[in-house]
Amino acid sequence: MDSSSGIQEPFDLIRLSLSERVFVKLRGDRELTGILHAYDGHMNLILSDVEETILIVDQPEDGSVPKNAINVAKRKMNMLFVRGDGVILVSPPSRA
Amino acid sequence: MLIFSVFKTLTDQTVTVELKNDLSITGVLKSVDQFLNIRLDSIKVLDEARHPHMIAVKNCFIRGSVVRYVQLPAENVDTQLLEDATRREAASQVKR
Amino acid sequence: MDSLIPFTTSGSLVDCVDRKMLVVLRDGRKLQGVLRSYDQFANLVLEDTVERIYHQDVFAELHRGLFLIRGENVVLLGEIDLDQEDEVPLRQVEWSVLEAYHKKEVADRKHRDEAKAQVLFERKGFCKEGGEGDGY
Repeated sequence: MDSSSGIQEPFDLIRLSLSERVFVKLRGDRELTGILHAYDGHMNLILSDVEETILIVDQPEDGSVPKNAINVAKRKMNMLFVRGDGVILVSPPSRA
Repeated sequence: MLIFSVFKTLTDQTVTVELKNDLSITGVLKSVDQFLNIRLDSIKVLDEARHPHMIAVKNCFIRGSVVRYVQLPAENVDTQLLEDATRREAASQVKR
Repeated sequence: MDSLIPFTTSGSLVDCVDRKMLVVLRDGRKLQGVLRSYDQFANLVLEDTVERIYHQDVFAELHRGLFLIRGENVVLLGEIDLDQEDEVPLRQVEWSVLEAYHKKEVADRKHRDEAKAQVLFERKGFCKEGGEGDGY
């Protein structure tokens, strides 16, 4: 198999996503999309043009949890290093 | 080693480190080590009122393992160089 | 690489030795003491340590003594600017006065985090580690 294009191990999927927009799900109720520029074996990432989505759960004083309790906050960042230990998954752009 | 090298090139630049406990600290990157422990000088804490223990702190050492993100100065990051270096490092890992 | 002393743990902490430092731990505790020793893992020896608790604009402290802190529990190590320390707009009160407020605040936060983690686990597929009280 051609090792420069084939996917033989998990990190190949990330390598083929370099300079493309990826979706990253993180621990701590956060998700990112951004253009992938670098990664290493710890799954540390460097992304640019990042949009972060933070999930916020409304919690009234009485301790109940309402049905539509989940809100999102969004934040944009130019260039971001993401520490690998917080990464749950990296998803490449969908290809037609 | 790749990400460590990137941080080394950014010494004396201003970065914002966001910790897993939601504390965000902006400061001048003075040093970084192989564990990505970070030394910041002339720090400014975002939302200082919520973190009164940080008021008299000017310089700090942050343990790499507690970092969630580092916001980097985009103008000082060569994304093409990063991608090439990442591909090179990935290729050298495969050969091992 | 090894000759680049600024780019080592020892290179960045060497000038903090024998200074009054703030240490924040992963469980949220704040300690102040004199840094006497450290190593590459950020294991720390802290002398004349006091623990501080904060609530709004008041704080209290309790003498704790001599500690060796295992590095993995360290969040950050801050150099306390002794000139600015006296101008901090906070009021000190007795530990016994503040302790109950502090404990309630910690318990409330833990409860909120657990409830949030449960909701996000059920509806959004996030892991439930929030229940441990921190994201480490």
